[in-house]
Amino acid sequence: MPSSRKLTVSRAMSEAIAQEMRADPQTFVMGEDVGAFEGVFDSTLGLLEEFGEERVRDTPISETGFIGAGVGAAMSGMRPIVELMFVDFIGVCMNAVYNLAAKNIYFSAGNCKVPMVLMTGTGGGYNDAAQHSQALHATFAHLPGLKVVAPSNAYDAKGLLTTAIRDDNPVVYMFHKGLQGLVWMASPAGAATEVPEESYTIPFGEARTVRSGRDVTIVAISMTVHGALAAAEELATEGIEAEVIDLRTLVPLDRDTVIESVKRTGHLVVADEDYRSYGLTSEVITSVVEAHPDYLKGPPQRVAMPDIPVPYSRPMEDAMLPNAERIASAARHTTGRG
Amino acid sequence: MASGRIQVRVPKDLWDPSETEEGVIANWFCEDGAQVEQGATIAEVAVEKSTYDVIAPAAGSLTIAVPQDGVVQPGTVIAYIAMG
Repeated sequence: MPSSRKLTVSRAMSEAIAQEMRADPQTFVMGEDVGAFEGVFDSTLGLLEEFGEERVRDTPISETGFIGAGVGAAMSGMRPIVELMFVDFIGVCMNAVYNLAAKNIYFSAGNCKVPMVLMTGTGGGYNDAAQHSQALHATFAHLPGLKVVAPSNAYDAKGLLTTAIRDDNPVVYMFHKGLQGLVWMASPAGAATEVPEESYTIPFGEARTVRSGRDVTIVAISMTVHGALAAAEELATEGIEAEVIDLRTLVPLDRDTVIESVKRTGHLVVADEDYRSYGLTSEVITSVVEAHPDYLKGPPQRVAMPDIPVPYSRPMEDAMLPNAERIASAARHTTGRG
Repeated sequence: MASGRIQVRVPKDLWDPSETEEGVIANWFCEDGAQVEQGATIAEVAVEKSTYDVIAPAAGSLTIAVPQDGVVQPGTVIAYIAMG
């Protein structure tokens, strides 16, 4: 029944890709284990069976080669969806992303389009250590020419991926492994949602206010949206009403929704699973204080990963994740109630 | 239209329980009480690291008998569908 059908994020992504592949024969998928294995994070479920090896292409373990090939295919009129299994592997193929994909539209004065989606698994929380646990949101958001998306739930995952595939610019689609609904990795209850069967798009640059509150604005993205909501529940029992904003996209960034909220609450916490320094958290805070230095009535707070490699040790990793407890603590501090 | 209540089971031959004792309900894709269509994917069973999609055998109102993360074996009744 469409109205009550729930999907995991991974199934929502797979459905978006399948619908776009049915609609446009130029759309195809490639990456490591996207075919018979259906994606190590289940992002390409059922695609090989429906579309065959020509359009669902397993690649060698050579990100340098196949992500470069994706840029070329995009510039030749195709719409590639290229999976970089873990975002941590970006090092070997960064030139194709930031010097080619991100700049070739500009270099060609708009004569070339680069309609490529780079979809990639992010995030930690499952003890996979320093080379398999990073978010790296800001690494991409910092580079002009890329759009950057990071959904928190299945409904947004499908709509944002459909928008990404139809976009004529390169889009980095960053999905958190812990939100996918994988059988071997627990995901928060709110990640799987009702998802319409028909195709739909969600515009980039429109944040969603997922909870209203008068006392403090908590800005989050991807996994931290769930931590922020849990923190808001806890804070409500203490008489602090938190407003929670899911940015949904880093580029473009919906500064207006954040500013409008902070104007009412006077307090700001920004939670992101990327590193603390030079990141999304600082960008959001600066966007507010630069435009309206008088809005904040308490010190703005960054809740992010400390600037160290992600430890393998479970207690050590747990201690650094931007979870509900740390978000709630930051909200108490900025509102002067902690 | 047919009426009555039918069981939704984990297939009896889905795996060999002498090798792997039990599986779990990894996901429910419908809420308890939801109206489901025949052929809809309603749940996902995980055995070791493999998964199996459970398809609704009939249309009707779903009553979940084994919740998410609940343990199942081949043949376990995991839900009922009230038809009509």
